[in-house]
Amino acid sequence: MSGDSFPLNLPLPRFATDSCEATYLYRELRKPLLRYLTGLGLSADEAQDVVQDAFLSLQKHLAADGSQQDIRSWLFRVAHNGARNYQQSYTRRMGEPLDPVFDAASSAETPEQAILAEEKFHRLDKAIRLLDAQERKCLMLRAEGLRYREIGEVLGIPTSTVSDTVERAVKKLAEKCNV
Amino acid sequence: MCDSSGRLVAWMDRELAENEAAVVEQHVRACEQCQKLVAAYEEVSRGFAAHYTAATRSVISAETSRKWPRFVPVLAAAAAAGLLLLALLPRTVKPSPVVPQVMEVRPPITSEPQSTPVEPVRGRHVVAHRKAPNQDREMAGPAIQIAIPADSMFPPGAVPEGVSYIANLSLTDGSVQAIRLQR
Repeated sequence: MSGDSFPLNLPLPRFATDSCEATYLYRELRKPLLRYLTGLGLSADEAQDVVQDAFLSLQKHLAADGSQQDIRSWLFRVAHNGARNYQQSYTRRMGEPLDPVFDAASSAETPEQAILAEEKFHRLDKAIRLLDAQERKCLMLRAEGLRYREIGEVLGIPTSTVSDTVERAVKKLAEKCNV
Repeated sequence: MCDSSGRLVAWMDRELAENEAAVVEQHVRACEQCQKLVAAYEEVSRGFAAHYTAATRSVISAETSRKWPRFVPVLAAAAAAGLLLLALLPRTVKPSPVVPQVMEVRPPITSEPQSTPVEPVRGRHVVAHRKAPNQDREMAGPAIQIAIPADSMFPPGAVPEGVSYIANLSLTDGSVQAIRLQR
């Protein structure tokens, strides 16, 4: 009897693999994407909506046998483009960048160290506000661990431009912070 | 200004080609100024990452308050559909055995039976007419009609006047097998 049977070749294994792949990516990249979108100026709710839309797109992309290469930069690019739908807050926040809350208690052992660390933090904050939008985006994506090539794919610019932009931005920060 | 100073960040980020990185590395080991620059760039890079993380911390903490992201139900539904499909389908498919087609040998039909086309009846199921079991037998062979006076078969007064019967006889091998009266 068993000799008469043959395995059924359905797209089911591929389907299940896609779901697992998307779930894994969601777990790994959800927070980096949220951070980046918030850095672009989106509110928490807006960032969450964009991230979820990006993963829905990923699900469709994988189901349609889309390329699985450079999936990290693919997701960042989809999220980056999705953020443009919130153009109002995007423009507003990129004009007045990140507003971090300095947590002195976590980084200093003595009150003097806390004061110095806070001064340093605010100096850096001031220097970051002097960066242009492209420089800030490059540094945010770099902070998320993306390679220059990936950053270029997300922002739609050549890798050499990313390299120049990152170099210039880091030099600016170093000069403004007197380090 | 050193020649390598424009490539220090890319060198730190391991973005240079192997031969180019080797040149920069060799220079940095020998150049005190570039070593300071590298240290400064590393510090502001760490500072930027900390600043960036601090600025977006509130979003990450708020993110956990959402019960069900829209993405999760879609995945769950997709997985459930997949499992259902898997459960419904047989694990293996048995190919139907190949049966050689044998033509049934029938005697040639010499004449088609005359059949009256059945008109479909609106609103009713159309059922094909079935012949009575003995219809063929009745129609087979020549019909012999024999007129027999009713008085000789029935008692007087049993049959109303003016009524006659036709007897159908079934004959086999010259002997009567059955008599059927038809009014």
